[in-house]
Amino acid sequence: MDRWYQKTGPQGDVVISTRIRFARNLNDFPFPCKLNPNKKTEVVNLVNGALGALNKDEKIRGLGLRFIDVGELSKSERISLVERHLISPKFIEKTGGRGLISSQDETVSVMINEEDHIRLQVIKEGLNFDESYPLADLIDDILDKKLSFAFDEKLGYLTQCPTNLGTGMRASVMLHLPALRESGKMAQIASSISKLGLVIRGLYGEGSEPKADLYQLSNQVTLGFSEKASIKNLEDIAMQLIMQERSARSEIVKHIEIVDLIHRSYGVLANARLVSESEFMKLISNVRLGVATGEIKNIPLDLIDSLIINVQPAMLEIREGKNLSATHREQLRADLIRQSLTTKNS
Amino acid sequence: MLCQSCGENMANTHIKRVINGEVKEYMLCEECAKKMGYGKLWSDFSLDFDNFLGSFFTENIPHRLSYDTLRCKNCGSSFEDISNTGKVGCAKCYTVFYDQLVPSIKRIHGNTKHVGKMAANVGKEKKVENELQDLNIQLKKAIEKQEFEKAAELRDRIKELSKGAES
Ligand SMILES: [Zn+2]
Ligand SMILES: [Zn+2]
Repeated sequence: MDRWYQKTGPQGDVVISTRIRFARNLNDFPFPCKLNPNKKTEVVNLVNGALGALNKDEKIRGLGLRFIDVGELSKSERISLVERHLISPKFIEKTGGRGLISSQDETVSVMINEEDHIRLQVIKEGLNFDESYPLADLIDDILDKKLSFAFDEKLGYLTQCPTNLGTGMRASVMLHLPALRESGKMAQIASSISKLGLVIRGLYGEGSEPKADLYQLSNQVTLGFSEKASIKNLEDIAMQLIMQERSARSEIVKHIEIVDLIHRSYGVLANARLVSESEFMKLISNVRLGVATGEIKNIPLDLIDSLIINVQPAMLEIREGKNLSATHREQLRADLIRQSLTTKNS
Repeated sequence: MLCQSCGENMANTHIKRVINGEVKEYMLCEECAKKMGYGKLWSDFSLDFDNFLGSFFTENIPHRLSYDTLRCKNCGSSFEDISNTGKVGCAKCYTVFYDQLVPSIKRIHGNTKHVGKMAANVGKEKKVENELQDLNIQLKKAIEKQEFEKAAELRDRIKELSKGAES
């Protein structure tokens, strides 16, 4: 079964993926920070016990939801879950008293005992709230019926951190914005976006120039705005960014320096024998820009998007089945990139 | 990533500040973040720092002494625990420390009233509550109009509903 990152979705030239995340807690247990290991295990078992109810629903059954004991995974396997955006880095800082539910295609995941008892996530390729929100909503309803979530009429869903009160929902869109970054407008955009109750930040690294020009746009406020209003707002702003990025792209590809950069980046990636992660992220962004603008032909976007995930360090280690030295890793990365870019291209 | 202030500890706090319309971002370790006045409760949010510091402390200092002794019976947290860790201990804490938490909730979200999806059990209770309210008004009217038969019917329904709400 294809995973979400192996496919391109709506507005795929700019949008990599759409994500909904719900923070939920069980009524009858203190929040994870106040749980001893035994109680944590109890929560894990209760949530795991709701799997049956989930798989009974015909809309959910096909997803093949299953329980994963995070403690039994190897270190690279655990990190690779972060690289595939299935879990948060925080989730694997400790492994005791945690559990994970995931669908075969990795669009659905439930982190048990991260910051809250439950962090439910639905992720879809492209700009796609129309499918991701209803699915998250449905899974949430079924879990709530089984587990009974902590809720207050005034404050909404009760969460360990007050920043998630209310809907407990973080909706986000992952955007590829090489042209807007190139135009030097990102700081200005970030500042005007923050006035609209949203936040945009680099996906990899926190510097001013995120690796691969990937940005995450998400809602900041969870209390006082309904799920639908938040999503509508986010979608509107995302569409504006998409249009701006597209028009900036059509401008910058008129310059020979940019066209040269695109093809030069492709040349390096298609031929190099050693590629570091940071070099890859810089070059693949240029190549993706080239593919999206038609400057590079015969390479599908989904190939680029799955490559971005597949060449991450732990993903390479899993593929190889062992720990890798830095040089060996760079070599394997280069091999994988070369294979992907040249086979489909010929 | 290492803390951008001390360069020694792992950074785990993402600070965003808007200064003259420009967004500045820092990654700090817990200690440095605390030293600079960013408690965990308020990390990850873009705020005007000076503004926030001033009003936060003036709001909370006068109350401090009397709240120190109050603890949540369900999880044992005091308000000081919550404020130091940025973590609320349990759902009941939100009731016990509601007055103390509301200023920061308001500061974070700009709101204090939830709008949107409701949990199933609360939704049901709320529905029953609304219906009871409605029935009681009808009952009053029926009595005023001396429609005793209707009043008796309404009384039965009210009785039934309140039983269901308790169980
Ligand atoms: Zn530090
Ligand atoms: Zn408590």
